Amino acid sequence: MALKKDVYKEFESVVGEENICDDPAIMPAYYSNKFAAVILPGNTAEVQAVVKLCNKHKLVFRPICTGWSGMFPPDIILMDLRRMNHIIEINEKNMYAVVEPYVISSQLQAELFKRGLNFCIKGAGTNCTAMLRGHGHMDQTTSGDDRNHLAIEWVTPEGDIVRSGALGSSDEWFCGDGPGPSIRSILTSAVPPGVTPGVFTKAAVKLYHWPGPSEFPIAGHSPKYVLSEIPANMMARYYSFPSVEKMWQAEIGLGEAEVCYELMGFNAAMVAANITTCNEEDEAMFNRLNKEVQGPGFFVIIAGNSPADFAYKKKVLEKIVEEAGGKSLKTLEDPELEGIIMCQCIRISASIRETFRPGGAFNSIPIMGQRDLTIKWAIGAGEAKKPLIEKGLIVDDGGAFFGWGVEQGHLGKTEIFCKYSPSNPTAKAAVETWQREQNRRAFEERYFASTMGPQDEIGPALCNYSQWWSKVVKALDPNGVSPEGGSLV
Amino acid sequence: MGLEQYKGDMEMCCRCSACKFIPMQKVKGHQYAYVCPSISRYNFHAYSAGGRLNIGAAMLKDGMKYTDKLLDIVYNCQLCGACGVSCNYAMDMEVLEPINEFRIKCVEDKKTHPALDKIIANLKKQGSMIPGAKGKRGAWAAGLKIKDATKEKVDVLYHVGCLTSYDKNLQKLAKATAKILQKAGVNFGIAGDAEMCCGGRAYQMGYPKEFLNQAKKNMAMIKKAGVKTVVTSCADGYQAFKVLYDRFDLKGELKVLHISEYIDKLIRDGKLKPRRKVEMAATYHDPCRLGRLGEPWVHWEGKKIPGDRFVFDPPKPYRRGANGVYEPPRDVLKAIPGLKFTEMTRIKEYSWCCGAGGGVIESNPEFAKWTARERIEEAVSTGAEALVTACPWCEKIFNEAIKESGSSLKVYDIVELVEKAI
Repeated sequence: MALKKDVYKEFESVVGEENICDDPAIMPAYYSNKFAAVILPGNTAEVQAVVKLCNKHKLVFRPICTGWSGMFPPDIILMDLRRMNHIIEINEKNMYAVVEPYVISSQLQAELFKRGLNFCIKGAGTNCTAMLRGHGHMDQTTSGDDRNHLAIEWVTPEGDIVRSGALGSSDEWFCGDGPGPSIRSILTSAVPPGVTPGVFTKAAVKLYHWPGPSEFPIAGHSPKYVLSEIPANMMARYYSFPSVEKMWQAEIGLGEAEVCYELMGFNAAMVAANITTCNEEDEAMFNRLNKEVQGPGFFVIIAGNSPADFAYKKKVLEKIVEEAGGKSLKTLEDPELEGIIMCQCIRISASIRETFRPGGAFNSIPIMGQRDLTIKWAIGAGEAKKPLIEKGLIVDDGGAFFGWGVEQGHLGKTEIFCKYSPSNPTAKAAVETWQREQNRRAFEERYFASTMGPQDEIGPALCNYSQWWSKVVKALDPNGVSPEGGSLV
Repeated sequence: MGLEQYKGDMEMCCRCSACKFIPMQKVKGHQYAYVCPSISRYNFHAYSAGGRLNIGAAMLKDGMKYTDKLLDIVYNCQLCGACGVSCNYAMDMEVLEPINEFRIKCVEDKKTHPALDKIIANLKKQGSMIPGAKGKRGAWAAGLKIKDATKEKVDVLYHVGCLTSYDKNLQKLAKATAKILQKAGVNFGIAGDAEMCCGGRAYQMGYPKEFLNQAKKNMAMIKKAGVKTVVTSCADGYQAFKVLYDRFDLKGELKVLHISEYIDKLIRDGKLKPRRKVEMAATYHDPCRLGRLGEPWVHWEGKKIPGDRFVFDPPKPYRRGANGVYEPPRDVLKAIPGLKFTEMTRIKEYSWCCGAGGGVIESNPEFAKWTARERIEEAVSTGAEALVTACPWCEKIFNEAIKESGSSLKVYDIVELVEKAI
């Protein structure tokens, strides 16, 4: 449904002729649905004006960042936040950075490294917005989720500008909870920008100490970038264990000792994907690593602040791994591969090679909680993948799952993928069925309650949270112009 | 087959946006992280490679009406290939080829761009890409005592290219090249007035038949002259002879070198000695078709293996930009005494385009100049006084952009600096 000419003109007067388009030619670039228009606001004031116009004309809108995922109803106003791409501030003293939605993590991280700082890079990859809420490779030290969001600037579904936490009472971004209005329960209900109704236009992210180099010494050409040398006081290793219990023992021990910069419970398939440059190499490497590992395992990076600190961390790491019967993967001790995966995990945040390259699409079930518990669920979900692998519907990764420690193992994340071809509808249907069944099993067996699980059962079991959330959304969005949706990264 | 052959590749695009940026490891900060001029200038996702592939997939699936906007998207792309390098860091899929095929489809469907039509009409009529060019193609060589390769036996044919031959401001590059080759004692010649357009830019514009016509004529002339080696001083010409002629099985055993490669070899062989100081701080711009798109063509035929993975039998060798010509021009510049060499952020396989490619300099000169200005700003940020390139099209657009912006940056072709140094 096209916008009426006069309505189109109203939007155009806000963003300018160049930054609005309703031509059908541009729509497939974004999604399979046709939108009423795509609009590119350049700043918060323009976002606010667009939102107010949407309310005036009862037009549904949704924002989008780099565009990696999302579900969009037809005929909406799609707000592409691409022009909002500025780093507003890097506050070294108070350890936060303020960014607009289209600053990607790679840009911010590169700026931070120069200052001896880093931040939580989300698993979606450094090609995605730095504002993204979520988890990633360095959660062991940088934590994840809403822990890292400080103050946020939010244009509500009705077009009001709300500044949360410290920003609400001053011009400071240091805290999301005050002095000033803490609206964390609303703002962090899902992934900004986009899932909480309205539009997140700026956010402060928490910064952490970075013991590594100001710039990685990259050599070679794409797709095989290597490190000319492993940075001083850094090391990457993959350890496999005789059993899940032993792996968990080591994870707990390493968390308590606080020696790992990263602890990522990769499986062999994910290690193979990250260190290889094409699918054929990947498959061969996976088969090789599968023979080399003794059981489940994890990948670690240690980063010392000094040679002595590094030596200490290395010694503790090796002792804990040895006590749990862990075995280092020899293939990854090759400095070239060690450097590649170190860079993949820190600078790239892995992602695309391990998710999209093999088949072109993947579905995932991510869960938060105690690792020992969630791993038990994941083992079952992995077993349920095997028939799909045998039928050739999904990529053979051995039925593996993965996960990692958060905040030195106080929390943990476990996740499981099914990778398949987007051109194969049978595979897609089978994966969606697997996803539904495993989410249901997780709930029924009381492992966790997923937003992708049976909401009519999960809601009542969790204080009818979904009804309360619906009431909150209705209050915030009386005109129903800002629907919830999937994560926008 | 056309666009259809890339259906699987286009459906592989997951809209991750990697195609918009230089490879993530190479991002050095907030600035100079973008690599695609089209999305950087026009902002709608449709102008990115990912957007183009999704549009291509939609065209195949549902058919799409040609609108002015669609053609604006199609023709506002330099086909510089940077998107493919960034995508292919992680993904196994063709990126530039389907984008190019979409443009070819537009031309086949008679949805052409008037400015490009004019260029192609001139190509058919006069055999050059320079409408309105006056005088004879080989006139620049008058009095330089250069052999006529169509009449005399030579070891090397210097293919000058349309722009260098006809543009009064750029003929100095041909003269410098000739002087360098003479100084090194190379038995070379030119085809003079008989030289014809390589056709490479016609291919970029979406006119494969016209390209092939030129390619066949050139190869017939080369065969007749008995030439075994062609040296070009234009990156478009280099890519045409080296990559496209090979792709269409026309190149045979012909050895193709860019002048920067040849000078590098002459220096290493001791036949050329840059002795005079050229005191300047300079940075080098990698022309797209000498760098990432100058990577040799890899002949491959195979089929997708049915099943879950996007793999082929035999395995498909993707051209990911790793084997372009990157070091020879740098080695030449580093061999010039007094020249202080600096690097920009976006270099080699992830270099930012000059803006002139893909017919954009003709179809949308303002966008071409905008793209050039971005590069000029990056060059200036290194502290360089001069931006050195190895393609006359780059030099032309950089100079036009500098003229408008008032920047004090100087632009040179690599042969101009070598000429000063010998």
